[in-house]
Amino acid sequence: MAQLSVNNSNNLRPLDQLLVRIAEDRDQQAFIQLFEEVGAKLKAYAMRCGALDGEAEDVVQECMLTVWRKAHQFNPNTASANTWLYTIVRNKRIDMARKTKADMVVSDDLWPEPEGEELETDVERDLNGKIARTLLHGLPDEQRQIVYKVYFEGKSHSEIANELDLPLGTIKSRLRLAMKKLDTLAREHSTWLIIILLMNS
Amino acid sequence: MANYHPTDELLMEFAAGRKNDPLGIMVACHLESCPSCKERVRTFEQLGGELLQETDPKPVSNGLLQTILARLSEKSPDKPAESGDSRIPKPLRRFVPSFYDGLPWKGFSKNIQEFTLPFSDNHYTAKFYKIAAGKELPQHTHKGNEFTLVMSGKFSDEAGDYQKGDFILADTNTHHQPRASMDEDCICFAVMDAPLKFTGFFGRLLNPFLR
Repeated sequence: MAQLSVNNSNNLRPLDQLLVRIAEDRDQQAFIQLFEEVGAKLKAYAMRCGALDGEAEDVVQECMLTVWRKAHQFNPNTASANTWLYTIVRNKRIDMARKTKADMVVSDDLWPEPEGEELETDVERDLNGKIARTLLHGLPDEQRQIVYKVYFEGKSHSEIANELDLPLGTIKSRLRLAMKKLDTLAREHSTWLIIILLMNS
Repeated sequence: MANYHPTDELLMEFAAGRKNDPLGIMVACHLESCPSCKERVRTFEQLGGELLQETDPKPVSNGLLQTILARLSEKSPDKPAESGDSRIPKPLRRFVPSFYDGLPWKGFSKNIQEFTLPFSDNHYTAKFYKIAAGKELPQHTHKGNEFTLVMSGKFSDEAGDYQKGDFILADTNTHHQPRASMDEDCICFAVMDAPLKFTGFFGRLLNPFLR
């Protein structure tokens, strides 16, 4: 199980700014800076998902090219840079992991680009990933371990149960506990949103 | 608005990019019409963003940045032309050759017909079912899990009433007899990891034809 480092959580805003500069000014310096910030993390994500060193670098390459091409789609009002980058590397992993045939599901099918009439809600509930971070750090090790296995190893609940030599029911109830915690945090957060809205009205 | 939703576990697996299969397509179709599940998936994507952020970095090789910079001026790969009928939810569109009424439905009776969706997937079989207005499927149970998304019309069984957008899971404990509402045909998208097992008298007769 990887150790979580806790001291790197405050650099979200700068990443947002870099993406905006890439989108608006086609700024290569900003792009290089972004690469230096996140390249090694994208690679680590790919490797934790099972890619070999060279494959992981191909994933990084494709992700960074997508960042360059699609930076204009990044909307700092609706998602943090981290979340946006995560969706890019997640999708690349799906589409590069195997030779795709026409009748296979690709990331564009699962997350189609919104059609014109679809309204993006401009209220971002969690710009700095606060809910998610609090959740992750607040989870007991045994619950966090399961979340890791879902995200990085794509393990189903029964596979996780086999691997940890625990009954399936235990895995399910741990994950359910994690979900419950998330719910509580989300509710707390929405209370803050209401307070902010009231103060501004 | 949908009343029946995928479980949180499934939404998390979807957000984690672990459902690139017909079941993931079904979840994506449900999200198109369900703001609350969409919101939930977003939260799980934030969790993914956080995991990415917290992963211990793996240093990249020296030349990687230069390789990438040299490729910045490359043209973006062409998007495949949009195909399919715009009345079909976008995630499914590529896999459905025409709108429902033009599909090559197959079946042993006019009341229940099916169309097998052309996915290549090792785990799941995906089908559309069409139950004629007021008609019912034979009583059946399931050998494995069967996920159903109502695409149009309504149906009901012993456990509830389902309408467009509802996402329903039937498993080996479900013993049911879905019936379409009287006023229109009901079309469902079904994904199953094992074939249906009909249990009633007619069901037993029908079973060999429905694999």
